[in-house]
Amino acid sequence: MSNDWLNDLRRKMENHTDDVPDELWDDIRYKLFEEEKTKAPILIQMNDDLKTEKKAIKNNKKHQSLYYRIGGIAAAIAMFFILERLIDFNSKKEQSPVSEYANKSGETIYNDQKLSIDKNDGSTENSLEDRRGVIVMNSGKEKRRNQILDKNIFNKTNSKIDFWKENTFEVQTKSNDNILMQDAQRLVQTENLNLGKQQENIEESTHELLTKQEREWKEKFEDAEKARLAKNKSKKKWMVGVLTGNTSSNSTDQFPGYATLNGTTLSLPEVWSVGFEENPLMEILLANQDKKVDAKIKHKTPVTFGASVYYNIGKKWGIGTGINYTKLSAEVVSGSSDNFISSEQNIHYLGLPVQVNYNVIQKGAFTAYITGGGVVEKAISGQIKTKYIVDGLPKEETKEDISEKPVQVSANTAVGFQLKILKQIGVYAEPGIGYHFNDNSNLKTIYKEKPVNLNLKFGIRVSIN
Amino acid sequence: MKNKEQILVDCLLRKEEVAWKEFFEAYSGNLSYVCSRYIIDAEDVNDVLQNSFLQMFHSISSFEYRGAGSFKAWITKIVVNESLKHIKKKLNFKEISDDFEIPAEEGDEDPNFEEISQHTIMEMIRALPEGYRTVFNLYVFEKKSHKEIAKILGIAENSSASQFHRAKAILVKKIKEYKMSKTAQYE
Repeated sequence: MSNDWLNDLRRKMENHTDDVPDELWDDIRYKLFEEEKTKAPILIQMNDDLKTEKKAIKNNKKHQSLYYRIGGIAAAIAMFFILERLIDFNSKKEQSPVSEYANKSGETIYNDQKLSIDKNDGSTENSLEDRRGVIVMNSGKEKRRNQILDKNIFNKTNSKIDFWKENTFEVQTKSNDNILMQDAQRLVQTENLNLGKQQENIEESTHELLTKQEREWKEKFEDAEKARLAKNKSKKKWMVGVLTGNTSSNSTDQFPGYATLNGTTLSLPEVWSVGFEENPLMEILLANQDKKVDAKIKHKTPVTFGASVYYNIGKKWGIGTGINYTKLSAEVVSGSSDNFISSEQNIHYLGLPVQVNYNVIQKGAFTAYITGGGVVEKAISGQIKTKYIVDGLPKEETKEDISEKPVQVSANTAVGFQLKILKQIGVYAEPGIGYHFNDNSNLKTIYKEKPVNLNLKFGIRVSIN
Repeated sequence: MKNKEQILVDCLLRKEEVAWKEFFEAYSGNLSYVCSRYIIDAEDVNDVLQNSFLQMFHSISSFEYRGAGSFKAWITKIVVNESLKHIKKKLNFKEISDDFEIPAEEGDEDPNFEEISQHTIMEMIRALPEGYRTVFNLYVFEKKSHKEIAKILGIAENSSASQFHRAKAILVKKIKEYKMSKTAQYE
């Protein structure tokens, strides 16, 4: 006896149907389309409302952080400029505002980091008491589920936060921003240092305050100055620079369902063929089957480093090129709170920027310019790390290389401020706006989510001619 | 050109109530049959079907169209999996004995069931002991290998094979008995 008759049996039964009671659809319909509408409307609405309020705060924060950052940099440059031009750094006293600013902003960053880590804690040292009060009050109200009150309180919190932000002048939420800020501070301090050095009477005391790192910076500048003295008479045409930049926008996206970073969708049939007991993805899908599933994509702020060569054409115009390194990180979390898939994507780009500068204002050491150009970036490597979390426990971890290596083209325009510390060395800040063209790949990057972004570059330029 | 199945999936993806109702009406009968192969109690069948539809609703975005029939395969698999989940709550497959009370009779001929109605065959399958029936269904209708069945049910591979043979033997016997009773009636 063969098993062929079993195939016939399967074929015979293929289109067989059983009766389904009419109530079944009603039950399903209720569960799928009615339940959410009817279940405790106040509660649901309030939750939504809270969410949006929170989101609003978040967005607000994001935007404000940008404005304040730009404002902060502009102010730092302006302050520096004013101090340099008008007060002339004749005494330590006059120098102190700058370092005070640096200290203060450092403190602020610290505070804000704390704040973002634990909002409810709110344990920042200055001017936060009332804020904490509001939050505590707020959490109390949340329990009472009073929508209107909540809204008000949130608004209040919002304005308090605004107020507090204005007071503290700088808001940083991202740690790499912090690093960049610290870099900038270091630059500012170094500027102080170098200018101070020109005023020989204050050099000694400043020197004592230097950290090791700053000493290294100083040594570099001293070397550069020696070089400058050697080539004092040559005309400055060529410049090289190093830069670091970040785009202001990190982005978080949430939508129902599951998502992956390389653009493919998770497929159940594929999973099934592997056998659904051992597969963590299957376990996650099964555990979440009755729950609402969301995928959350979080793109971290891109980090860019680079070096550039710059050539002045005449007094007003200049062109520059160089090499850039950019790292893009993104995180996807799909699933519910206990059962989810978490992937982390890192893509590294090498880029070739081309830019044209036009100097608008040139007064002594200060230059304000507008710049425009483009960058061609090629992904040089990328990895995706995927973790499967089942019942809150990591079940499996996979790592894969991204084979797709797209070329990313972007256009950028910015306003730049440069301040020469020495004749050959200038520091600059360039707040700008960029547009990233579609690279026609399946990779999900922040460039795709937000083709237009605001960015801020810092750097130093050294003239080499 | 998108075929009917793809158009349906597109509508389902948008979570339109009308589309889901249509989908339910078109497929629930067949899915109910799939489910009843595994589960005897009518209320349990409806519970499992309901869960299956909820799961389809929530995971439709993960469905990837791979040619004709792939959607039906997908929904069927969800129902099968839900059914197995339900059975496993009550039945420990490891405890099912492999001892044959009835020796597996290997007849010379394949059983002829052409004249037997789908309904009667269904009754025969449903009359199989639960453990054997599950293995039989997975092997015949879900086209799983014994290796896969062993993995799914957490039993040994040879246990799956022997349970399948036993189920098959019982079914063959039943078909023969049925035909004999039919011919007896006519005589």
